[in-house]
Amino acid sequence: MKVQGQQSLPLDAQAAWTLLLDTEALARAMPGCEALVPIGPDEYDMRMKIAISSIQGLFSGRVRIDEKNPPLSYRLAVDGKGKLGFLRGTGLLSLAPETGGTLVSYTGEVQVGGLLATVGERMLDMTTKMMIRRFFASLAGQVKA
Amino acid sequence: MIAQPFDYAAPESLSEALQLLASAENARPLAGGQSLIPMMKLRLSAPSLLVDLGRIADLHYIAQTNGSIRIGAMSTHHQVATSETLRQNCPLLAEAAGRIGDVQVRNLGTIGGSLAHHDPAADYPAALQALRAQLRLVSQAGERTVSIEDFLVDPFTTSLRPGEIVAEVIVAADGPGTGSAYLKLQQPASGFAVVGVAAQLGASNGAISLARVGLTGVAGKSYRARAVEQALEGKPVTAATLSGAARLAAEGVEPLNDLFAKADYRAHVARVYTRRALEQAFARTK
Repeated sequence: MKVQGQQSLPLDAQAAWTLLLDTEALARAMPGCEALVPIGPDEYDMRMKIAISSIQGLFSGRVRIDEKNPPLSYRLAVDGKGKLGFLRGTGLLSLAPETGGTLVSYTGEVQVGGLLATVGERMLDMTTKMMIRRFFASLAGQVKA
Repeated sequence: MIAQPFDYAAPESLSEALQLLASAENARPLAGGQSLIPMMKLRLSAPSLLVDLGRIADLHYIAQTNGSIRIGAMSTHHQVATSETLRQNCPLLAEAAGRIGDVQVRNLGTIGGSLAHHDPAADYPAALQALRAQLRLVSQAGERTVSIEDFLVDPFTTSLRPGEIVAEVIVAADGPGTGSAYLKLQQPASGFAVVGVAAQLGASNGAISLARVGLTGVAGKSYRARAVEQALEGKPVTAATLSGAARLAAEGVEPLNDLFAKADYRAHVARVYTRRALEQAFARTK
């Protein structure tokens, strides 16, 4: 499924770029992220505990950042697996100056498969989008805090 | 499939249930089990302890006090749909409950369980948004009352805290001269709403004195159609007023786009069903 959206950050482009590559900030913003450990340049091991309603699942996998073009854009790739299925996504994040800060736009493609997709088809679209929205909202929240 | 092993407790008092829920990290309350049990059988959900709320007498009632009606969280959809108190004083909620799922779901599923699960296509939220319902939540830490709008956060996500349950739903009794209607286009297999519209209208001296509209299934979350309400209140009751206001039913929301209905089709159905619900609600004003 395709996902896209925007989030304003009250930071200049350079500071927004730094935040978007800050491992700890990303780990705090990813819903249910339990660990994000660097294993190489721009590559991380991640563990996520997803809890939506009564559904709970542990996902583990990789997060990779490439096509870095500071401070304008990078590509984020997430690849995770768990008992409930797999999720795979890549997205392009681009930064553009706006009044009072920086506008981060994202556009990408997410795939969810396995048990979760088979039985939860009706929920996938909305829950995926909700989690991406929460990620960016939480990043913005960290700036204000 | 068969669920993973779990412990089971069926306490007879609310305080005991709350204590049990706080005792284990992965304890879940069991209400009617119409969503939780299938998820456990599919192994999407694996609680370590199920606390069955079915034997707690304090959660089974539908009672009217002064102008408000209080509904215990363990009231089944069937009980809500057939309650004389609700049919007389808040028919919108009874009508919505009567349209949920199928007979078995209505006989077992409960209003509290449905709200805590918060499926974004469930029927209750449309009616409860229109009715400006309040929910009483209890935990070992105490109790608090929240509005339905604050309770429903995101799809499958509510403002319930760990160890907290829905204890009661509170709605106001309809004033004189009020009419209401719940209409939905449902998915044939599950009965869930592709679009569900709850409308409540009050009219006096040919003008609309009260307009309340809630929609479910359209977006990731049920919502009050404030634009529709504003386009109605204080206006003369004419077919043009109702249909003009209904055109604003999907204003400012991002309609879901899935196998059952594409986003633009959903928005269109939302507008058409809102018009029909308003017309029916008006026809029922007395």
